[in-house]
Amino acid sequence: MKDFVSLPDGRILGSFTPLESELLGDLVTQVIELLDGELPEDRLLASIGIGGGDGPSSDPAIARLIPDAYPDDEVASREFRHLTEHGLVSRKIANARAFMLTLDGGGEVVLGPEAQQAWVRTLADIRLVIASRLGIEHDDDEGRADTDDDLMLRDVYHWLGMVQSSLVDALDA
Amino acid sequence: MPQVLEEIAVNEKTLLDTPWITLVWNDPVNLMNYVSYVFRSYFGFDREKADELMLQVHNDGRAVVATGGREEMERHVEAMHEYGLWATVQKDGA
Repeated sequence: MKDFVSLPDGRILGSFTPLESELLGDLVTQVIELLDGELPEDRLLASIGIGGGDGPSSDPAIARLIPDAYPDDEVASREFRHLTEHGLVSRKIANARAFMLTLDGGGEVVLGPEAQQAWVRTLADIRLVIASRLGIEHDDDEGRADTDDDLMLRDVYHWLGMVQSSLVDALDA
Repeated sequence: MPQVLEEIAVNEKTLLDTPWITLVWNDPVNLMNYVSYVFRSYFGFDREKADELMLQVHNDGRAVVATGGREEMERHVEAMHEYGLWATVQKDGA
């Protein structure tokens, strides 16, 4: 991966190896599947942003992506979820799908304004999910390192941090 | 009678004016430059203000990023959640 470059016309250029591109595609697909499980069978109401569950998911990763809005008020949190949760999940999925559309088998990606937003938000979501799986809960947590898979996931997590940081720098340029 | 109406009007105004706040909480995942970027691009803060709030989140564990009506604060919280930031709404002083 090379640093993102802000082009004179406002688009942002990114450059990945085929392997990196494949990895990003796999991760985004997993996040889509994870979020998809939060939507009801009847997608019509969800697609227009209505409906939601009663409380935070028992999966800590999903609970972090869609947290309670009222820290000390269960009733208000539930009402907020009923009004907004499926809409939020649908928008996160739409961001992830827009991300996927820009990945065409490696090499360069050229991101217009909408794709830039889809990328930076989806990268945040992927990192939140991985951090949750690694048990990263505090600022100085490095995450679980019990198995080779843990160590690999930690590398991926740090790499995604560099990707997102570089993209934010390009957005700021 | 006008006096009673005036009192009611005052009471309603007091209720409507009760401010609510949007809080953004520290998390170990979101990058400092990303949090500052979100504050600038969503709330329209300049860099100095955005960095100040971002550092407050990082150092103090949370920061008030908006104050106003409840519905407006709920919209902010929903937007922050779409960015992956951990945000909540509550009554000011609660």
